[in-house]
Amino acid sequence: MATERKLGLIRAVIIGLGAAIGFEIFVLLDYAYFHLTGPSMVSALFLCGLINLLTMFSYSELSAAIPKVGGEYTYTKAAFGGLTAFMAGCLRWLASIFGAALAVIVFAQQLAYFFSIFVPVAQNFILFNTPLIVVIVIIILTALDVRGVREATTVIVIAFLAIFGFFVASGLLYGVTPPEVLPTPSFEGLSGFFAATAYTFTMFVGMRALVAAAPQIKDPGKNVPRALLLSTVLLIAFYCGIAYVIVGVVPFGNYDDPLLNLATGEIMGGIGALMLAIAGMVASVSSVSTAMMVQSSILGGMSRDGYLPKVLLKVHRRFETRYVAVISSSLFVILFSLTEAVEFLGYASSFASLLVFALVNLSLMKLREKEPHLKRPFKAPLYPFTPIAGIVMSLLLLTFPMLLRDVNAESALISGLGLMVLVLATYYLSMVGRYRLRVAVGGISLGMGVFMS
Amino acid sequence: MGVRRILVTIVGIAQGAIGVLAGILACILYFNFFGVQTMLNVSTDLLPLYLLILGIFSFFSVINGFFLIHEGLE
Repeated sequence: MATERKLGLIRAVIIGLGAAIGFEIFVLLDYAYFHLTGPSMVSALFLCGLINLLTMFSYSELSAAIPKVGGEYTYTKAAFGGLTAFMAGCLRWLASIFGAALAVIVFAQQLAYFFSIFVPVAQNFILFNTPLIVVIVIIILTALDVRGVREATTVIVIAFLAIFGFFVASGLLYGVTPPEVLPTPSFEGLSGFFAATAYTFTMFVGMRALVAAAPQIKDPGKNVPRALLLSTVLLIAFYCGIAYVIVGVVPFGNYDDPLLNLATGEIMGGIGALMLAIAGMVASVSSVSTAMMVQSSILGGMSRDGYLPKVLLKVHRRFETRYVAVISSSLFVILFSLTEAVEFLGYASSFASLLVFALVNLSLMKLREKEPHLKRPFKAPLYPFTPIAGIVMSLLLLTFPMLLRDVNAESALISGLGLMVLVLATYYLSMVGRYRLRVAVGGISLGMGVFMS
Repeated sequence: MGVRRILVTIVGIAQGAIGVLAGILACILYFNFFGVQTMLNVSTDLLPLYLLILGIFSFFSVINGFFLIHEGLE
């Protein structure tokens, strides 16, 4: 059955903005500003937006041509089949897990900041007990997700736009010191600038929700590219505005509080800081909830195709949600968030997203060649330059943090490679079949026994 | 057919138990409970190798034990 096209341009733009604006702005700017690129983080965010737009065109074409659920997993499956699709699904799942883990840490940070305004002693108590808070938050959200509770995203988006719009306007009226927004050799130079671009990239990737909604958008040939361009321009202006005010207000130094909270406290005083801490907590909770929904959907899709155990498809009798998939993903989120390694998680989430973007661009090119007569209501402009540029930029962004010898980026890449080996092993085992697997394990066990004796 | 199933289950339980015992032995060796490293004359250099071999053996034995038990109960 064809999906009814009922969403107009404005609604599509709100979907794109709503999915992209989240908890990331509360946490990722700190490391980018203080350790990677300094005030030129404003230009790094601008570049992030442009690179994101390149791949969004590919996403749009694919989603309009293949209007099925599953996103990246479905597109790569149509283009390359089996292994590539499984890798894309796993990468998307990992990006979501890392993002959710980061969101829970942000929740704990913002909760600590919120209490620090009234009871300064409580801040240390919360920061000291972050692991406990992390576990409690995930258990509550998992329970809500198993029960199928969803939040009102549109209201949150409008509230966010209002709060941050007010922040930027107040900052400009407050009088910021005009910062040097272009990369300077005095800091980490171009390597630091591109490393910051890679690190903050995940702030923009949420916009693919707009693309996922493409089958419901009226006149997709015109409205999808317009909505993409408009959302990207608004998002770039929005993020760059916030970053500009922050770097103009907060001088270099060692601070205990998050950068955005510091700037808000400086410009808007206690009330502003309070509002922002609440916004941070709402954003984190909303992001974790959405991530869990995405994770269960990805695991369900791969399980349905026989790559993962069928148990992940089990639906709760009363709440009608895939509770096994939700609970198992939540365990991974707990595991990663307990590390409290913000920089590692930021890089890991960005790297996984960048690899998914490269695979999506490759899928677009493969499908153009494989199925030239496929009905495409929207076509990526300037083909093949846009997908090629998307692939090249994604791979370049993966390499720059390595040139900088950033330990967090190196750890993220090594962990990612390790996880990919696990993914390949899982794929191989799922293809081998149960009987052969049993014989293989029996053989290895016997061999080990003989060796030991 | 019934005898085969019972035999498969028994072998599975035995193999699983051997795997668990190998794992316990690895732990005892690692934490040096009861001065077992001196008792067995295990040098510190070779300890990681023994632990690795015991760990792999334990893992595969337990997995194979589960497979056999599952087959027996199917």
